[in-house]
Amino acid sequence: MKEDLEKSTPSKISSFQVFLIHVCCGLALAVGFWVAHNVYSINLISHPTSTLRLIWAIEFPVVILLFSCFRQKPEKCSYLKAIARGLLGLPVGALLNALGALALGAPAGLQYFERTVSWSLLMSSLTFVPTACVYGSCWTDWHRIFACTKPKGSLDFMLCLPAHGAVIGAWFGAWPMPLDWERPWQDWPICVSYGAMAGYVAGMVGSLGLALMHTGGGKQLKAE
Amino acid sequence: MWGWWRFGKWTVLIMFLHIVAVLIFTKGFLLTRTELPHSSHCSDLSQSPCHSSSSSSSCWTKPAVDRLIIIVLDALRFDFVAPSSFFEQKQPWMDRLKVLQRMALENPSSAKIFKAIADPPTTSLQRLKGLTTGALPTFIDVGNSFGAPAIVEDNFIKQLIQNGKRVVMMGDDTWTQLFPDHFNKSYPYPSFNVKDLDTVDNGCIEHLLPSLHQQDWDVLIAHFLGVDHAGHIYGVDSIPMIEKLDQYNAVLEKVIEELQNQSGPGKLHENSLLLVMGDHGQTLNGDHGGGSPEEVETSIFAMSFKDLPYLPSEFVSSSCEPSKNMCISSIPQCHRSLVSPFHLEGAVIGRVNPELYALAVGTWNLDDNKTWNNQDETKLEEWLQNYVNVICTNSWQVKRYIDVYSASSVIGFSSEDLFHISDLYSEAEENRLNSTFYNNESSNTSLAILKRQIGAYFEFLSYVAELARSKWTEFNLKMMGTGIGIMLLSLYCHILAIRKLNKSYGVSLLLSRDSGISFGLLLASFTVLMRASSLLSNSYILKEGKVANFLLATTSIATLRFSFMKNKMLLEAATFLLLTFIFRIAIEVGLYKQASTSQFMSASSSWVLGISISESLWTFMAEIVPILALIILGCFLYKAISSYCWGIAKCVIMGTILSYLLIALHWISESNILDLAHFLKGFGKNYIPRTIYSIGLGQLSLLAFVPLFSKEETSNYKGSLFVKTISILSACSSTVIILQGKQGALVALGSLLAGYCMMRLQGIEQHTVRGAAEISILDPLPILQWSLLAVCLFFATGHWCTFDGLRYGAAFIGFDEFVLIPQAILLTIDTFGFSHILSVFGLPLFVAFSSMFNQTEHRSLFSIKLFWIFLVYGLITAITVTVTIVCVAIQRRHLMVWGLFAPKFVFDVVGLILTDVLIFMASIYYF
Repeated sequence: MKEDLEKSTPSKISSFQVFLIHVCCGLALAVGFWVAHNVYSINLISHPTSTLRLIWAIEFPVVILLFSCFRQKPEKCSYLKAIARGLLGLPVGALLNALGALALGAPAGLQYFERTVSWSLLMSSLTFVPTACVYGSCWTDWHRIFACTKPKGSLDFMLCLPAHGAVIGAWFGAWPMPLDWERPWQDWPICVSYGAMAGYVAGMVGSLGLALMHTGGGKQLKAE
Repeated sequence: MWGWWRFGKWTVLIMFLHIVAVLIFTKGFLLTRTELPHSSHCSDLSQSPCHSSSSSSSCWTKPAVDRLIIIVLDALRFDFVAPSSFFEQKQPWMDRLKVLQRMALENPSSAKIFKAIADPPTTSLQRLKGLTTGALPTFIDVGNSFGAPAIVEDNFIKQLIQNGKRVVMMGDDTWTQLFPDHFNKSYPYPSFNVKDLDTVDNGCIEHLLPSLHQQDWDVLIAHFLGVDHAGHIYGVDSIPMIEKLDQYNAVLEKVIEELQNQSGPGKLHENSLLLVMGDHGQTLNGDHGGGSPEEVETSIFAMSFKDLPYLPSEFVSSSCEPSKNMCISSIPQCHRSLVSPFHLEGAVIGRVNPELYALAVGTWNLDDNKTWNNQDETKLEEWLQNYVNVICTNSWQVKRYIDVYSASSVIGFSSEDLFHISDLYSEAEENRLNSTFYNNESSNTSLAILKRQIGAYFEFLSYVAELARSKWTEFNLKMMGTGIGIMLLSLYCHILAIRKLNKSYGVSLLLSRDSGISFGLLLASFTVLMRASSLLSNSYILKEGKVANFLLATTSIATLRFSFMKNKMLLEAATFLLLTFIFRIAIEVGLYKQASTSQFMSASSSWVLGISISESLWTFMAEIVPILALIILGCFLYKAISSYCWGIAKCVIMGTILSYLLIALHWISESNILDLAHFLKGFGKNYIPRTIYSIGLGQLSLLAFVPLFSKEETSNYKGSLFVKTISILSACSSTVIILQGKQGALVALGSLLAGYCMMRLQGIEQHTVRGAAEISILDPLPILQWSLLAVCLFFATGHWCTFDGLRYGAAFIGFDEFVLIPQAILLTIDTFGFSHILSVFGLPLFVAFSSMFNQTEHRSLFSIKLFWIFLVYGLITAITVTVTIVCVAIQRRHLMVWGLFAPKFVFDVVGLILTDVLIFMASIYYF
């Protein structure tokens, strides 16, 4: 029964799974903050680099392990291979994120290098790694999700919405930076990271809602 | 011509509305005053009616004091000085300057605390200007030399110097900016670092006390900044502020003690006057600049070191506190009292205050050994007579100033006001003349007469001051509102015109524009909105270049995404993104330059990448790369003529290539790569730029006038549009490039490349949405990008929106001496060259490019598209300028209104009108 389901609609996942994954990812972020705050007693404002790295170190394994479970064509691609794809996708995504940030005006000085690296690693694990785990290097799928924004099914929504949310949130998070309030959190990349995470969470909520609607609609259709 | 009028009338209408709106708003907002170059001399006194008996040999009036010590405490609130019993509640910062209160309480006749009302704008520079010139400072003092704040008007310090007095200054370096070479000795300390509470003050203290013993000065000015800075950083209710006040109390105590010790007969400070004054107040948050009571109310403490008589109570115009036995009176801060020994011609509107005048020892003809007897009426009368003479001279001078001002100024006073002024003046004069006949009456009546005279003069002076204040320092809100209203109306017209064009475009394409809302339109509107709302904050105005670049990069990322979606023109999109990155670096270099001159920005060096290339290689690169860029530009042009151009265009472009060669030669001769400098010396370095200007002028007139005589109707309209655009761009470019200097060539190359990418990428979204058939549906996104690129270019070429951001060096390329008109034109071309002139004339390339591949289009469609593009570009500019105007109106009492918002307003408004005019000319030229 289970095999049958997987063969017929490989990208279908239940809304409960979506819920579980999103809760895990969100919890990982929260745990990251909690550990930083309570165990190491640092926060994003006082030690941006190490905090970002810590959050990434907790978030990234969770993401890569969870999303690799939902790899496409599991019969051809083992779990380990999916993890390897995710690992490979990490630096590529980080590079793209960093380049985007630089083009938008992130400080390019050497003293910001470490911060930029840790920020882009986190961004990559929020945006790029899940898709890399699920779809690997399949150009058409990437194209469908990120260029055309035409996701099909809950799995696509689960990949697409949080990633877009994170990017758009980071974009909005950059706006307070030039203000002359002289607050420490206006420094690169603190408010951008906050924005990105807020956008990510919003994206997850959206995707969860869509998944619920989708399955609800599907059940209704079946009932009819 | 009728064909042009069909759409061209809109450009004319919009231009007209913009000009009217801007003029009306500016009249209400930008307060202007003409500086007069005259200055007064002792000999002027003979013209005055006041001194009929030329009794005193001194200039104007007899110097009232021998030595004057002025201690300026920046941002001194009134409640710092006045006793806390004056206020409802005692606050921790009150009663800290105890020594002043004690002095005023102990010697009420020789020491007084005044409440002084400063005129807004309450910023230090403007206030110092106001205090020393006695005038009301305004935003634009016409006649002021650009940029440099040095005071050229007649002023207190200048008069002191002219009369052989020696002035010593210590503290805030603003004084040395205002008076670059007036001081005998000066100990300036940098004032721009707001976080530094102590450097200026410690420097002052270090020099103040020793100076009191020295004999080599007559006037000493010490300017303390700590309270101002403490207010900006910590606010008034804070520990650093209280520490600062306590420190000042200690210093003042020492100063007063020192002066009292030396005030005996024959000693150094026998006849000295100590003034402790604030230049303006501050709010509880430490802000100042506006006109709220907290900001304008400051204090003056005046003290002389002798027992002096009391004034008759009519002259004590104050709110006395009987319980405290202390009087606080309000005086307008543009006071004349300081100036009593010398009278200014420049712009003095104010009066000699009787109380302050009475404090000056020399005004009382006291015998040294005799103590003052309060009942001595004759002494008082004598003093009053003196005072009448002084105030008569004062009034006469004010009258003369008003007369000269209204004769020479462009925007003078209304004739009614002038009439009323002279009425009041002659009344006061008559009063005085009449009373001289009754000199031998009893002292009581003569006292009364004197008092009446003084009253008449006061009336005259206060009327003039009120008039001048309303003219020079009050915004006219009605006019500002009308201006904004007309601006909004013009926006409505703009949108109406664009809708009309859209409609006729749809009709001639025979398609109904069904939805009309595409993603590109949404993105464009969103970006314009973000940019417009960003202008409401001073921080974003300071970093406008970065904001524009951020938005440009955002749109270019969106384009990149489209090209991914469509899987084509990836290279162009990527190049475009790369170019925005390069422009961003250039903008940050520009910002860095700005930060080093601006008082509002702190220099951040985040862009410094740690260049470790050896020096010589670096300079060599810096010299050779622009020339290479020029050669590449020339090659492009050459290619363009060989494939497309004919006739006049060929001539024009050949001329441009020649100009490029000349520019390269000019740069080589300036640098020392090749030893050409002495070879060209005989030629004179000015001939090359002048030749380039004249070639450019010749090209432009060729392009403008030849079509009038030879009406050749070319069948290939698109081709001719392309050629026209290329030729006018090339004609303008050579002048712009030489004015911009070496960066000009690089920026020109970069914008050419960026423009090419944009042309290729335009409409990329529609391809997927609607299919190839509707290739030419109008899309505002590329035009928005073009406009953002223009803004980026403005900042990337090292300009920014303040007057010290103008590149004055550019005005002198090819000229040695300053002649107003050519230099102003060159400066305008330099400032707006890339961002306005070239970008408006380059706009038709969008039309030319998009229809290169589409042969079926009709000519009328063409002109519709052309106008549509111009109108959309104009609309984007107009929206941002409207928001700037609204923002300036909202922030008119902001701390930075004169430093930041007003210059931004001026630049934007000039840019808007220039854009309108250029669009008008371009639409005629291209039609």
